[in-house]
Amino acid sequence: MSGVSVEFQKVGKRFGNRTALAAVSGTLRPGQVLVVAGPNGAGKSTLLNILAGVLRPSRGEVVYRGSDGTVPRAHWFEHLGMAAPDMAVYEELTALENLRLFARLRGLNRSDADLAALLEELGLGSREHSRLVGTYSSGMKQRVKLAQAVLHAPAVLLLDEPSSNLDGAGHDAAAGLVARLRERAAIAVATNDPRELAWADARIDLAL
Amino acid sequence: MRASTLLSEILAVLAKELTAELRSRVALNAIGLFGLTTLIAVAYQIGPYQIQEQDRPHLLSALLWIILFFAATSGLSRVFVKEEDAHTAKTLRLAARPLAVLGGKYLFNLLLLLALYALIVPLYCALMGYAVRGVGGLLLVLVAGAVALAATTTIVAAIIARASGSTTLFAILSVPLVLPLLVMLIQGTRAAAASSELAVVLPALQGVVSLGGAVMIVSVYLFPVVWHD
Amino acid sequence: MTDNRTRALLHFSLGGWVLLVILAAFFYAPSATGFKGESARIVFFHVPQAWVAVLAFCVNLVASIRYLRKRNPLDDARAAAAARLGLVFSVLATVTGSIFANVMWNSFWNWDPREVSIVILLLIYAAYFALREAIPDEERRASLSAAYAVLAFVTMPFLVFVVPRIYWSLHPDTIIGATGRLKLQMESRMLQTLLGSLVGFTGLFFWLYTLDVRSARVRLARRGREEA
Repeated sequence: MSGVSVEFQKVGKRFGNRTALAAVSGTLRPGQVLVVAGPNGAGKSTLLNILAGVLRPSRGEVVYRGSDGTVPRAHWFEHLGMAAPDMAVYEELTALENLRLFARLRGLNRSDADLAALLEELGLGSREHSRLVGTYSSGMKQRVKLAQAVLHAPAVLLLDEPSSNLDGAGHDAAAGLVARLRERAAIAVATNDPRELAWADARIDLAL
Repeated sequence: MRASTLLSEILAVLAKELTAELRSRVALNAIGLFGLTTLIAVAYQIGPYQIQEQDRPHLLSALLWIILFFAATSGLSRVFVKEEDAHTAKTLRLAARPLAVLGGKYLFNLLLLLALYALIVPLYCALMGYAVRGVGGLLLVLVAGAVALAATTTIVAAIIARASGSTTLFAILSVPLVLPLLVMLIQGTRAAAASSELAVVLPALQGVVSLGGAVMIVSVYLFPVVWHD
Repeated sequence: MTDNRTRALLHFSLGGWVLLVILAAFFYAPSATGFKGESARIVFFHVPQAWVAVLAFCVNLVASIRYLRKRNPLDDARAAAAARLGLVFSVLATVTGSIFANVMWNSFWNWDPREVSIVILLLIYAAYFALREAIPDEERRASLSAAYAVLAFVTMPFLVFVVPRIYWSLHPDTIIGATGRLKLQMESRMLQTLLGSLVGFTGLFFWLYTLDVRSARVRLARRGREEA
């Protein structure tokens, strides 16, 4: 499958009487990074969740457009990789077992060497691969989360605060990952980190 | 497109559940200990001789299923609740098709129930002096019961995990759905205990299997809604 | 205006009809033989209440399925309204049934299969509202409770048809028994009263149901205006 673009028209979300996200429009295009910025509570995560299809917008609509037409909502997840603070990986499994699981669930046939290489790219040395994720520091967990998000080379990549809990080296690894994937993927990054704001080809600023 | 079959994805979920469970043993401990505790309390206080001969068939089959069902309630909702608690639900939601998740979790709950029955039923028969004439019939009833109860409890667990995740809510929601099953299972167990012919458990078995099957089919349609909203 | 006038007319005729049913139940219908005293007269209220409890369950199912397909919040309000009335009427049917049981068999409760069925219906309604209470988010509440309603409906045929057949029942044969034959031979004036009461209670159900749904519609419309 080649590129997928994500168009969103006036999407908004209301929880009870509280408006979590006012009407926002935009497009994620293959080869571009869209940065979503704004203060805490402005709806950055809400927007990403709506784009991922895990949250139904109260208004507006989201369309995934692939090379052969629009993609039905039930199939969005096949084109999508996502990392967010509320998306943990399994603590009772090792890093490698986690990646093996997610590869199998996505129907990929990946060798352990492939998966280990991905973990190495994110700065997790081979000694750590067979330790339970539950024993990891939060920065190391974040690296496994990022590996989970990109393992299938997704056409659409949604990153919610990708560098949270990461040190300088971790941030560089994440930046390298985004640089590698941006060639063909449509990427959205929700962040306030000035280093990540610099990745932007396009930008949406959400206000409270 | 996807190279893997649904089956291999279901097995991937099941394998993950089993690995995680063998490492933490939370559900196994909860269910096993609850089952043993109630069994010991019942066996100690009632035992084989406290019940009048004519009441034995009714009471012994009912007591057995009460122990089995309430032990199961303490652990079966965990398959979905733990995903929400550990914040892995969204990761799983975005990586697997709903049917693979439902299938894997269903099989896991089924195995848990079968393990519970394998532990408790022989002990119960020994401690309570429960002479079962139709062992084959009893095995059929137990397996059918596990298949049907796992179907009901898995979809209810999926619902409550998205609501509040409380075990109380799990019990409130599953009791009305499980009650007809339990009534039929108790009846089938009583029939199996009384006669060695397999045919005596058929009426109960028909009811249990058809209700279990109906719940399974409906679950396949409902689960994507429950899982994604 | 005409709409309001027809509505008022309907309300008055419904009230008149129910009044007639009550009078008929006590003065028009003859005493039934084979029952203690005048206890059989409770049938004119008990049966329609049980009928409405089941009818509400079906309305709830239809509204729930519609919600899952169309995602219209009004369908969720419809499902909840039907369930609220179903809860009330199943309590009424349980209470009247148990009063009758006490008069006839000197015991309020016998664990008769019919009694078990209505109790499970009650439990389902209670569980449905327990679930709704537990979910603060409106959309999730709507879709999860709709899913539960569909799931609960699957077990109903087993309660109504399978379990009562396995067990022996004291309950006077229902109008349409498990076999589908008209078994209860009723004197014609009794049958008229019962049918009239069924119509009256059904009307009562739809009146209360419409009231609830209309208020939900107003609530939703007001919120829509506030947003725009």
